[in-house]
Parts: sequence; C-alpha cells; structure tokens
Amino acid sequence: MTFRLRPSARPIALALALVALSGLVGGCSAMHVQPWDRDLLARDAMKINPSLIESGADDHIYFSKEGSTGGHGVGGGGCGCN
Amino acid sequence: MQLDAAAPRGQLRRRLGAAACALLAAGLPSAARAEATGDWQLDGSLLLYGERDRASVFEPVARISRLFDNGHRLSGEFAYDAISGASPTGALPSGQVQTTTTPSGNTVTIAAGAVPTVLFRDDRYAADLEWQAPLARTARATITGHFSSEKDYLSRGGSASIALDMFQRLLTVTAGAGVNADEVMPVGGTRVGLGDGTQMLATGTNPKDVTSGMLGVTRVITRRWLVGLTGSFESERGYLTEPYKVVSLVDPVTQEVSGQLTEKRPDTRERKSLQVSSVYHLSEDILYLSYRAYRDDWRVESSTGDVRYRFELADGRYLLPHVRYYAQHAASFYVAGLVAGEPLPAYASADYRLGPLRTATLGLTYGFHAGSLPGTVSLRGEYMRQWLANPSGGDGEGGDDARAGGVQLAGTATAAALTSVSGTPPLHIATLLAGYSVNF
Repeated sequence: MTFRLRPSARPIALALALVALSGLVGGCSAMHVQPWDRDLLARDAMKINPSLIESGADDHIYFSKEGSTGGHGVGGGGCGCN
Repeated sequence: MQLDAAAPRGQLRRRLGAAACALLAAGLPSAARAEATGDWQLDGSLLLYGERDRASVFEPVARISRLFDNGHRLSGEFAYDAISGASPTGALPSGQVQTTTTPSGNTVTIAAGAVPTVLFRDDRYAADLEWQAPLARTARATITGHFSSEKDYLSRGGSASIALDMFQRLLTVTAGAGVNADEVMPVGGTRVGLGDGTQMLATGTNPKDVTSGMLGVTRVITRRWLVGLTGSFESERGYLTEPYKVVSLVDPVTQEVSGQLTEKRPDTRERKSLQVSSVYHLSEDILYLSYRAYRDDWRVESSTGDVRYRFELADGRYLLPHVRYYAQHAASFYVAGLVAGEPLPAYASADYRLGPLRTATLGLTYGFHAGSLPGTVSLRGEYMRQWLANPSGGDGEGGDDARAGGVQLAGTATAAALTSVSGTPPLHIATLLAGYSVNF
C-alpha cells in the first residue's frame, strides 16, 4: 500500500514535512545550542507531548470517535469502543 | 531541577544556572531529567465525557511511577471506564416507526424521524505497566505491557522501543514495535455479516491481532524550538466488524426504510500515519503545533491539525487554549444504507465513524498549584462537534464524500432521491478533565 494523500491535503502535508525535514536534517544551524543554553528546553512544558494526563484522555476519546489512529507511540490498549 | 525562565535574573546568573543544570542532567536519561525532584510521581485524572442525547463516560485514571537510583523507571497505570447511554445502530431514520431487536434480545421501538439508537452499559478495567531502562549514557529502552477487560472485549498487548540521543542530545531517534492479541465476544453471539441478524457464527470469541511499529525523530532546532516527525504503521487481522451495527435497507420506490442487515467489514486493515510536531518557546509562553496525515487500505484518509498555546501566568499558573480540526474521507464500503432487492456488496458499514467525518474541538486548560498542596492541578473543559460532510457541498471532491448522506454504494437509485433519507445530525460532546500530578 502506498501512502498517498488527497489532493487537498497534499500541499499542507508537503509544506509541513519539508519544514520539519529541513530542521531535522539541517544539523549545522542547531549546533550552537550548547548544553548551558538549554534552560528553556529543560522545562517539562517543552516536550512534544507535555501532559500524560491530557494525551491519555485524548487518545482514548479520538480512537473511539474517529476512523484514524496513530501519530505517536506504539502498543497501548484496544477497546470495544471502535 | 528545572529553571524558571520567567524569573527576572541577570544574564550571567541565568547562564551559570543553566550550565549547572545541564551538567547535572547529563548523567540522567532525558525522560527522567525534568522529573527528578522526587523518586515517586503520581498522576491522577478524572474524565467526564458526555454526548448530547447519547453516551456518557466516567473514567478515573491513576498512574504511579518510581525512579530508581540507577536511572530505571517503573510505572503502573490503572483505569476504570463506566460507559452508558445510547449508541447509534447505523440504521437510517424513517418516516415510520421502526422496530429492532437488540443483541440481548430486547425489542426496541424507534420513533418516526428519530436516529435509531440502542441503550447500552459497559464497564472497562485496564492496567498498564511501563519500564524504562538506560542502556548507555545516550540510549534507553522502554517496555510496556497492557491488559484491559470489558464484557465483550479483551485486550492484551505489549511494546518495546528504544531511544537514542545523538549530536550532544540535539537529535533523538526513537524506534518501537508493539503487538496486541485482542478478543471480541459480542453479547448474544457473533452474527453473520450482512445477514438479517438471526444467523449466527459458531464462534463466540473472535480474535483480533494488531501489530504496530513507529519511527520518530525529535530535533532541537534552536534554544527555543523543538520539532518532531513520527511515522507509524498498524496492521490489524481478525474480527474487525462492529458487532452491533446495522445497515438499513431502503425501498427504491417508496424511499422508506424496509429492513436492515448486520454490517460487515474486511478482516484486515493496514494503517499508516505521519505526524509533524513543533514546540516553540516565546519569551514566556509556548506554542504547540502538530499535523497528522493518515491513510489506510479501507480508503479512510484523514488530516488532523492541532494548535495549543500556553499562557504563563504568575505563581506557576497557566492557561492553555486548544483548537483541533479533523477531516476524514469515507471508507470504500461506507454507505448510509443499501437498496433493497439489489445484489449485496462484499462489505458494508453505515457507522458514521467510517463516513466523511469532521470533528472540531475547542478547549481550555487551567493549571495551578492548589494552596499548600504539593504538585500541579489542571482543569480542562472541551467542546467537540462531529458531523458528516455535506454530500452535495463544497467539502467533498466528488469522490467518497458523494456518499455522505445517501444510499449510494449498491443499487441504481439516484443520489437526489436517496439523500432525502439521510439523517445523521451533528453530535455535540462536552468533556471535563481534572488532573493532579505530584513528585514525592
């Protein structure tokens, strides 16, 4: 199965993927973020997923109310809600 | 050991403090770094979920974690769900009174014009264990196990993942895999798909196996900016049909509902998703953005956008508004109903969750310290609206969405005639989530 998006979603996905990829692989620009410059990054709130409580509730709600899943993590529980 | 960026400190003092923090943190796994104020952590939450005229859920969750001196971390999570209310059967509303039989054998009368629903109640108990172990200074492994039980569904699963920090911890690569061996035990037995509901399969317990995998990259872009890219896949095998859902039969002449069949879905499903996330620290506040693209071989395709903004207030309090929008194209076998007398398709489902669904969410979280109580309290209220895209509106692209409100898949009736029997009104949902986290 190939991963193809609808025409309407392709520009958004492409733009975001390019932004992310350019940041992810464009290594040189980030090398100036020294360990002693990471006070902001060390905050709990600076995580991609800062609240286990909220993300756990959201995963359960959207898994049971929509036709899609995925995006972060593996495993977890199934339920008869979907 | 976290620094408060909002505190008014001198530049030199700030940098020295941050350097000390970084040096101390270097010896700890990054997952444990920000939580190292105590050996134990408790996260508790209570979710109240209510759909207007439909289902409601009461879900308390408790998670306790222990951080050991050697960097290992063990967590246990326990949840209970009490689910009750009315669930749509998938049948179409009718201009006449409808009578249907529930899985437990009760006869239900549906008023003319009403969306057919069935009352239900279930209790779900779930337990999860997670163990994180440092493999080296820059690598850590996570193993999880899961068990949950409800009266018609049993779930057992586990996963393993490994995270590797590179380039002075500016880049983290995570790879993982999981398996689930679930069982579906429909109340009243397993009905034959696309049957009249009286024909039963011999199997009372139906296996559903799930394997999943993910590969993720998290990257520090600047001192204020973190981005992540995660790709995941999931392969499902076994009984994937919703055992209580039905599909209406519509008379092609009168346009009235003339009967119903049980739904039937394929017994395999391959899902793929790609998610891009960004976390950006402004002078004090934080902006979270994410976008997920999803596709599966049932031809469900979706886009999800999510925006959160954390306003830092005084005394560690914060406000976090949240907006989310989800748009999905229908599964290839989604129908609003089937035309009576026409040959049956291989698969059919009228479950709106496989239709051209849209979900809009608006929410607000308030976080604060409660007086002398240690830890953080958070209160979140959200409103969700779900609806099916207009079959003739501009939302569809002439493809799957053309089926949105009408009986379009099997049969020869025209769309104009069949949209008149559509009738899935928007669903209004309110949720309240109270959370408490503390290190001790």
